Amino acid sequence: MGYAQKRLASTAAKLASVAPSTLRAFPPKEAVASSSSKTSFFDAQTWAAVQPPPPTALTAFAHRIGLGKVLPSTEIIQQACTHPSFLALYSRHHPNEPLPATNANLATLGNSLLGLFATEYVNASYPHLPTRVLKAAVSAYVGPTTCTGVAKEMGATPLLRWHRTPNTPLRPAVLHPDALSSVPRALTALVYQYRSLLSARKFVQKFFLSRDVDLRTMIKFRDPKLALAETVAKFGRERPISRLLKETGRFSNSPVFVVGIYSGADKLGEGFGSSLKMAEFRAAEDSLHRLYLTRQPPHLLQLPTSTFANGQGSVFDARGPQVPYIAGEMGDSEILHGSAGRTGARVPGHRSTAADEDLEDI
Amino acid sequence: MKLAPTTKPLLRAQLTSRPANGHVAFIPQIRKLVFEYCDKWPSSANARRYIHDHLEDLARTNPHVEIVVKQRNQREPIIRGFYLNDRDKVIPLNGFEVTGIQQKVQLLLDASGAKIKPLKRRTVESTTEAARGIWSGLHVDQPFKI
Repeated sequence: MGYAQKRLASTAAKLASVAPSTLRAFPPKEAVASSSSKTSFFDAQTWAAVQPPPPTALTAFAHRIGLGKVLPSTEIIQQACTHPSFLALYSRHHPNEPLPATNANLATLGNSLLGLFATEYVNASYPHLPTRVLKAAVSAYVGPTTCTGVAKEMGATPLLRWHRTPNTPLRPAVLHPDALSSVPRALTALVYQYRSLLSARKFVQKFFLSRDVDLRTMIKFRDPKLALAETVAKFGRERPISRLLKETGRFSNSPVFVVGIYSGADKLGEGFGSSLKMAEFRAAEDSLHRLYLTRQPPHLLQLPTSTFANGQGSVFDARGPQVPYIAGEMGDSEILHGSAGRTGARVPGHRSTAADEDLEDI
Repeated sequence: MKLAPTTKPLLRAQLTSRPANGHVAFIPQIRKLVFEYCDKWPSSANARRYIHDHLEDLARTNPHVEIVVKQRNQREPIIRGFYLNDRDKVIPLNGFEVTGIQQKVQLLLDASGAKIKPLKRRTVESTTEAARGIWSGLHVDQPFKI
């Protein structure tokens, strides 16, 4: 398909469409021009946007994401799929009817829950990750773009009720991705309300934390050799030395050099390249990745929310079996690179020296 | 003179994750199944039998699918499956027995809605590293000599 056809298909998907089988009368009375009524303009697109989605579609959506038994009625699902921007459109076209329930509060609650679960998961899985990379990883796992993608994959696009609002001085614009991203957040909040915090955590792990995020691309340095030297000094180890391990094809048009970086007898990392400098650069990057991306295996993860009992209602009042929680060991904190010495002395961190002192007693 | 920052700036727009449908949770890609049949013509006889006998059980065992039955008079019977990627698949049902119609229904339920691609010519693509690693002639005991 060419670009124009793809663009047309995606625009058509964003437009509201109504199944005539769900309506009492089709075409609607407003659409039929009659001589007695005063001239009124009928916009099919606006009319379709105001109609509620059919209850069969809402139930099918709930079952598709595994919440068929959790969400008790279609009104709740409809509430989760109604963005607050819809109220302006609805009140203009149905001025005498009560306003529909929106997902404003649910989305805010769900957003907080998503942030909580993602942060504890990333922190427990990657204990040595630098702070800004941790924050970026949390955004990648549960941020607005991901929430929009999850909503589209769940099939919430035809069920979403929203209204495009332009930028005003009092509130930001509401575009299609913003409205879509509120749906998975609202669903998380509903799982928390109708089940428990730990069920909400399982829901978030199923749909958000199982997605692919490449953390290696988030950890990049202008000078990895310098960064590695500073990091090794902070951990109180010997200074890193690079050694050529293997080479082939020097002076030919396709040389390959394999360089390893050693701190004393420990090999920190290895890198390959078509020049010595390139191989050394990659070896330094590899060493830093091996440090910052040390991962706790998923079956050994200790998440702080496991200390809450698995029961319905308030998390602080629930009674039930609790899983024991063993806090992870903490190492020295990260180096703030390029901070012009503002972090303080470059001496080894106190946790590294404490470990050495224990050994000296033996 | 201003130096470039020591670490690469992380721009908000590129902080996303890629989907992994099936890794933990599986979202079935079909959202609606429409059965269209004719009341009178004999080509729809098996379709009418299937709708009468098996459709309710199908709807009960597949609660994630909306099932619609429509009239399609003086034409051959078809089933249309609508998927989450906004595509649809249409299968004509004339010439099939009831068991054949069951197989076609299962085909639509299992499909993803993507266009059919020939699999024989394509190379393997993966988002994860190779499970056994990629062979390197420099990392073996006896270096590989051409």
